[in-house]
Amino acid sequence: MDNVIDYYDVQGNIMINYAEFGYIKSRYVFIKITIGEDGRKFIKEIAPLITSSALMQNGTISLPEVTTNVSFTYNGLKILGVPILSLHAFPDEYVMGIRNRTSILGDNSASGPEHWDDVYRDDIHMFMSMDAKDDESLVKRYESIASIVDQIDGVELIQGCNNGRKELDKFQEASVLYDENGFPTAKEHFGYTDGISNPFFKGMTPEMGEVIGGGKKLNYNNPMVEENWGPIETGEFILGYRDEANEYPAAPIPKLLSKNGSFMVFNKFHENVGKFNEYLDTASEKYNIDKEELAAKFVGRWRNGAPMTTFPTQKAADEIADERQKAIFALNTAKTPEELAKAHEKFKEVNRHFIGFDFFDDIPGSRCPVGSHIRRANPRGALEFNSKDAFSTPAALDNRRRMIRRGLPYGIATMESNEGEHGTIIMTIVANIKRQFEFVVQQWLNYGNDFKLANDKDPITGNQDEDGGRLIIEGDEKQLPKYLAGIPRFIETRGGVYLFIPSLTAIKYISEGIVDPT
Amino acid sequence: MPNQSGNAYGLTVLSPLKEIDGSGQAVIPKLRNLIQSFNELDTTPMAKVPNTYLSRLWILEDVFFENYPHELEHLKSKYLVFTSNFHGELDTYLEGMFNAIPTEVQSIWQDCYGFDDKALSPEGFKSYIKKCQVETTFYFNGSTDDSLQDQLKSLYIKQEFSRFVFDNAHKSSEELLTAFKAFIAETQPTADFPRWKPGESDLSDIIDRGNNDHLSTN
Repeated sequence: MDNVIDYYDVQGNIMINYAEFGYIKSRYVFIKITIGEDGRKFIKEIAPLITSSALMQNGTISLPEVTTNVSFTYNGLKILGVPILSLHAFPDEYVMGIRNRTSILGDNSASGPEHWDDVYRDDIHMFMSMDAKDDESLVKRYESIASIVDQIDGVELIQGCNNGRKELDKFQEASVLYDENGFPTAKEHFGYTDGISNPFFKGMTPEMGEVIGGGKKLNYNNPMVEENWGPIETGEFILGYRDEANEYPAAPIPKLLSKNGSFMVFNKFHENVGKFNEYLDTASEKYNIDKEELAAKFVGRWRNGAPMTTFPTQKAADEIADERQKAIFALNTAKTPEELAKAHEKFKEVNRHFIGFDFFDDIPGSRCPVGSHIRRANPRGALEFNSKDAFSTPAALDNRRRMIRRGLPYGIATMESNEGEHGTIIMTIVANIKRQFEFVVQQWLNYGNDFKLANDKDPITGNQDEDGGRLIIEGDEKQLPKYLAGIPRFIETRGGVYLFIPSLTAIKYISEGIVDPT
Repeated sequence: MPNQSGNAYGLTVLSPLKEIDGSGQAVIPKLRNLIQSFNELDTTPMAKVPNTYLSRLWILEDVFFENYPHELEHLKSKYLVFTSNFHGELDTYLEGMFNAIPTEVQSIWQDCYGFDDKALSPEGFKSYIKKCQVETTFYFNGSTDDSLQDQLKSLYIKQEFSRFVFDNAHKSSEELLTAFKAFIAETQPTADFPRWKPGESDLSDIIDRGNNDHLSTN
């Protein structure tokens, strides 16, 4: 019974996409522990606040007003007194930390650590995220944690987060963006609907995700049909379970320390909204292409989120996006658990059109460019390039590169904003940072060889050099291909941390100082 | 003949190494330093050897111990291994190599058994290398069997054409034709030059305009 997961032991941010349940405000704090014993005392005090993945109570969805999750850096575990034998069993990239992996991640020039917020250049030991439905409960939770910190000598909230205020804060804030009517949206600053697709793995309940589009593609048949997808192995995301290679992922010892835990990459990504809009304007004119269509070709989804490969025209995309918007509105305004469950069911039905697709009818990319963001980040089996049956399943080349994606936008931007504090917080949860996160960033987003695109980079996230990047928009029998050049670097890294998310059991052991690797 | 595939030749040479040189210095660290030092040069000496597609020099001290079945095997000697994939015939290639880099040849092989003064001529070098040659089917991927000049020209045209497409594909037919004519004039697809320089790894200085350097004069 390998895939029965104890939801009460796995932290909630791993299995639950809080944003889908109306948690639209977040605060992130970064903690330094100067005295190990005080650190353990602090963890014991905040432990009851930690949210697990147990979503259902008596058959209905039940989640707290505000959630709290914690994770640790290598140095954090060290100062907390985790034994050296356990520490040695952690993977190298986690031990090294993100600042020593920048050459792999392409965090150079404007994305280099010298441009990061102070906090990410400091020695972070522990990370806490709080997600809430409104500011009031969020601030209340933050203040209660801050006051616990105040009472303990050897623990401090690092004051190095840039929220665009005069002074640096002890927290990084994030929030959904609002439309002109004041309604929350799922947009990020470039105007794209974000965070649509997440993996579905064994042990997840239907409330936690969707096997259609979220699982791995089992064959070349209709991607809207459930039988054509299968859940990914749990061990790709949670330690202590078998992964897609039928092995247990590399994990620290003893098993009690690692089982039901995972790894997370926290990133603060600044968005050059002004440069993005300027490029859209000039390029749409220069290459004679509709501006919205050009924006869609960059990502592979229209800005309203509808995938280009199944909704090649804007009209069809707008219609399905309207329906999704209504479903999200119902989700965010549900008053009772019954209403929420119903709204969630409806949302899933509409959302299937946004995630239930692959690229088998569009391998050459005339609808969704081969170099677009979604084909790079999650190729959905399309890497076989029509050499059908080369592998046991079409997803063989990408089902070990899948990643859970969490996070929200931060700051406010105008159409012209380049400088300033606005962008997206992205938290990537994986069982293996090197094989999943680092590989995708290095080989698929910042390089093009696997897509037969030489050294072209992702048009949205790529770390383009001074000459700018290139994107081929493939044509078809009616339309000539377009060759876009001079694409600036739209996204710059402003910070990052590699973290270990322990299970609730492991947190207890760490806080008691009784982790025993022998 | 397994060493040859079309016009491409895969040469593998194992030269047994002495323990110490004439002055009593240990050979392997000295040779390792010499080989490493080629990496620090702007271009490796092998780039001067005509028609070299790709070559490697390395030291083989022993074979790896394979756990099971546990038969402990060792090599008779320590070897300097030289592999080269090139265009054309072995004799012509080795003559060209000795003529292009005689000093380097001497410093690379001087501490190998059997490499004496007689080896210090095109004929002698050829005969020495042939004595150490191992028949293999080892080829590096990534090159056709055309001459090096043709390949350097083709790669140059390919890269410049890709640049041309990104720079001009969106233009009107008239502008496109003008730009294409200028592209042909600059890249001279049927002439030897311009083309890539052999052995170059820095993209900023990769174009060899040869004697056809009319572009820089106008």
